[in-house]
Amino acid sequence: MEVTEVQSFNPPLGGPSALPGGGGGGFSLPASRFSSEDILFCIDVGPETMVEMKVNGPNGRPYTRLESIKQAILLFVHAKLTINPDHRFAFTALSKSTYWLRKEFSSEVDSAIAALRGLSVDSSSSHADLTQLFKVATHEAKKSRGQNRIFRVILLYCRSSMPPQYQFPSTLKLFTLDVMYLHDKPGPDNCPQMVYDTLVEALERVSEFEGYIFESGQGLTRALFRHMCVLLSHPQQRCMQDEMDVPKSLIKKSPAAETAQGDDSVVSSQ
Amino acid sequence: MAIDTVPPLVAAQLNYLISHCPFSVKVEQMWSGCKNPSLLDRFTLVIPYCLDYIKWDVIYNAMYPLAAPDVIFGPEDESFQPFYGGNEKSRKNSLADWNSKDPARLLSLIIELRDAYIAYQRRRIEEVDDDRLKFEISTMLSREGIEMYMTSCTDKPEEVKFAVPLLDMGLNKLVAGSTWRHPQKIYLQVVFPVGKKHSTPPPPRLKLISSAELKALFSIEDFRLPPWLDGMCTAEYLPTLEEMLESQIKDAVSSVEMRRKFITALVPLFGRPIEADPVFCRRATFLASSGVFTFLVHFSLSLQFPKQQAGLTLQSSQHFNSNGMPVKSPNLSEYPWSPRWEPSEMADRIFDFLADECLNFKKYCNQLNQQ
Repeated sequence: MEVTEVQSFNPPLGGPSALPGGGGGGFSLPASRFSSEDILFCIDVGPETMVEMKVNGPNGRPYTRLESIKQAILLFVHAKLTINPDHRFAFTALSKSTYWLRKEFSSEVDSAIAALRGLSVDSSSSHADLTQLFKVATHEAKKSRGQNRIFRVILLYCRSSMPPQYQFPSTLKLFTLDVMYLHDKPGPDNCPQMVYDTLVEALERVSEFEGYIFESGQGLTRALFRHMCVLLSHPQQRCMQDEMDVPKSLIKKSPAAETAQGDDSVVSSQ
Repeated sequence: MAIDTVPPLVAAQLNYLISHCPFSVKVEQMWSGCKNPSLLDRFTLVIPYCLDYIKWDVIYNAMYPLAAPDVIFGPEDESFQPFYGGNEKSRKNSLADWNSKDPARLLSLIIELRDAYIAYQRRRIEEVDDDRLKFEISTMLSREGIEMYMTSCTDKPEEVKFAVPLLDMGLNKLVAGSTWRHPQKIYLQVVFPVGKKHSTPPPPRLKLISSAELKALFSIEDFRLPPWLDGMCTAEYLPTLEEMLESQIKDAVSSVEMRRKFITALVPLFGRPIEADPVFCRRATFLASSGVFTFLVHFSLSLQFPKQQAGLTLQSSQHFNSNGMPVKSPNLSEYPWSPRWEPSEMADRIFDFLADECLNFKKYCNQLNQQ
């Protein structure tokens, strides 16, 4: 049986909120300790990042996955700082193992731009090993937690036939792991579903808070950007991924809209 | 290449000072006083005092690491000689009893010196021949924690400044979940002109000053000081001031809850927020879409909410300017608003407004991209 898309967690529009209950859908904003984040990006630089997306750049040729990823990261950094200028970012790259692009955490956009410029593809990469990433993240997370920050790793992974290998660090759940997985369509020579499942397993074991994983095999930049926006979610305020109800569609609740749309995406304020 | 280093015993004491000092002390500069120019054994400390700063140079000697440091005070404090004189009993001070291996020694020295400085300023001010000032001192000082400072520039009339801590109400505990690192304080700065004889002494200059983090809850800039009536003294002025301040701070704490209700009322329409400030409820961001156009909705709530409507901006996930920045709308303020509406009504109106406005925003983004 040909599977055209790996199992995805795209929720139906207007899906349920995290908690049961009427009225406001059960979401509350209790006064609780709320930390700024230290976010470590880990960007795959293996050869599959040179695969083209389905969208053309300004010069007429299609964006590569890596170019889209860079743009997606800038989108994330800008948006995250608009939300709260106290969040900070650092950058690593993943070829066979992980190496630093920028080690100091900073809330300056310029330092993100400079780090991303330092990205270069390693066409020789075969298997990726996340052990070093987990070790580094555990070490850095301890420092961040000492400063009353929470630590997050966002992994951007692009290999369709190579599930990542990893050994878990001795202390788990010191940081939250999110994954954005870009892959080819499933075929006889690849195994994106297996890669995806391996990533899910890592995320579930390692993550302090609910980690989110998104995948995209369609080559659409706007899907990548949309997923990155969902990844903006602050880990301390997340619901389970299955219960995610964003982005919400803004359709007016006018009588005309109701009859035209049927029961499709009409949001009630009750 | 010689890299500048701080000798380890000095570094240990300096680090301990910075991390444990009850007031926020900073190092302004470091330099070397010994033959090896890359050994930094001297530094200037900037110490908060009387709502301003004093600077003291701390002089270690890298060649004699076991010796106690010297401290040099500012040029206007030549008469400040804290450990000088007195009998044998009063010789027990941090410098006389120095232990270079104890990292806490510099901290105790600085605290001791600062306490001595408070006493020194007070003695100087008590000697000033000004009846009003003497009266103020005698009536004000029943309150603890007052610091005072006398400027003594010869070409200016002398002034005496008082920093009066207000409201012993545990500001840090007012807002649940607040992660204020330092105790938040509000002070009244009172500046008396002295030296000239007046029939009725002129009123002092008054200013409210608060610690920085308090701004998230309460803005002292928006607070109007009660008037200083002729012939008043500080001890009379303070109770009214504190009553007003306490009442407005209590209002500020209830405002947090109003903002919280508003953010919560947005959720059924806009979904779970991407991030919302759960402590002061000053901001919330949601992710929305219109067709395939996905965008962020940023709300910002001022301390004057709901009298002042929520600030509202949109940010595209798909359109970028030449610097790679995702395009943001200007602040959208033309949406229907009344502070008297229930939060759910406020949310409904904003939702309907945005259902239309996001289409305009999409057009705006597309136009920018075409340029």
